[in-house]
Amino acid sequence: MNPHTPPAVADTLGRTESAVCQKMLDALAESLPEMLGAVVSTADGFEIAAKLSQGLSPATLSAMTSSQLALAEAMSAETGLGRCINVVIEADRGKLVMVDIPGRGQKRLLTVLCADKATLGAVLWPVRRCAAQIGERLDASLD
Amino acid sequence: MSRREYKLLFAGSMGAGKTTAIACVSEIPPVSTDVANTDMAGYAKATTTTALDYGEVTLASGDKLRLYGTPGQSRFDFMWKILGGGALGAVILVDNSRPDPLADLEDYLRSFSEIVRRNRAVVGIGRTETHPDPGLDAYHALLDRMQIQAPLLSVDVRRRDDVLLLLDVLFHQIETHASDDASDGFPESIA
Repeated sequence: MNPHTPPAVADTLGRTESAVCQKMLDALAESLPEMLGAVVSTADGFEIAAKLSQGLSPATLSAMTSSQLALAEAMSAETGLGRCINVVIEADRGKLVMVDIPGRGQKRLLTVLCADKATLGAVLWPVRRCAAQIGERLDASLD
Repeated sequence: MSRREYKLLFAGSMGAGKTTAIACVSEIPPVSTDVANTDMAGYAKATTTTALDYGEVTLASGDKLRLYGTPGQSRFDFMWKILGGGALGAVILVDNSRPDPLADLEDYLRSFSEIVRRNRAVVGIGRTETHPDPGLDAYHALLDRMQIQAPLLSVDVRRRDDVLLLLDVLFHQIETHASDDASDGFPESIA
């Protein structure tokens, strides 16, 4: 594959999985009004589902989340702190929360972009709950 | 003179052996950011690097090399820019078993053109024993056509000596062209 060819989403990512994730992102947006966008990706940075405003690339955010969480995981291991639970970026105009989606299948990642007015605690809880729910739904589809 | 540290980059396509090369020569347990690979069509291997690899080698002079491996796929090109900052030179690895390894090399030479154009790159061609074509001549022709001066070696990155040879050749290349940029120092030969 030529490195400049946009990589096709791997065949293993079923349409069902994308649909499940899309539905959960819609539900998260309902419960978290400060949410500006969200993406579900594979651990190696391919988009599975996204809910983003125009101008933001789900492909780029997926790749960046993959890098962030992989580096955070390496740093947690390096310092003997165990498994990385989430990565939070607090910026001038908002927050980014990145978490692993727990599950028995292949590892998935959830990235949520929030407006600045949201407090971190108020964001973390619904994001983790959303990740857990996606994980449960995907696990159920494995049976 | 105080001992110095130099940052070197390993670039090249997915599966070319960047993680392996760094792990093979590093004196510290290498940092890797491998995750499960879902793009089996792109390259059939279990894991892939998505952030960076990191390792260290100390030269006989006491100078230290900090080795940074990049993710291969172009969707991680933001990491290429981040990791490329301040790098003295680059090792570009090619996997000769890929469908079009010459095109791969051309892409990476362009992506890392800032370092390549300053004659601070060496090219390592891997898996030539099982995949002899294209031969080194074809690679030399590509470099000539792109007007790039970069040493070209056939290597097995699982062999520590091969990776050290790449680094050694890279430093000779940098040393030879040091007058291009007199502000940069360069370490002594590794051998």
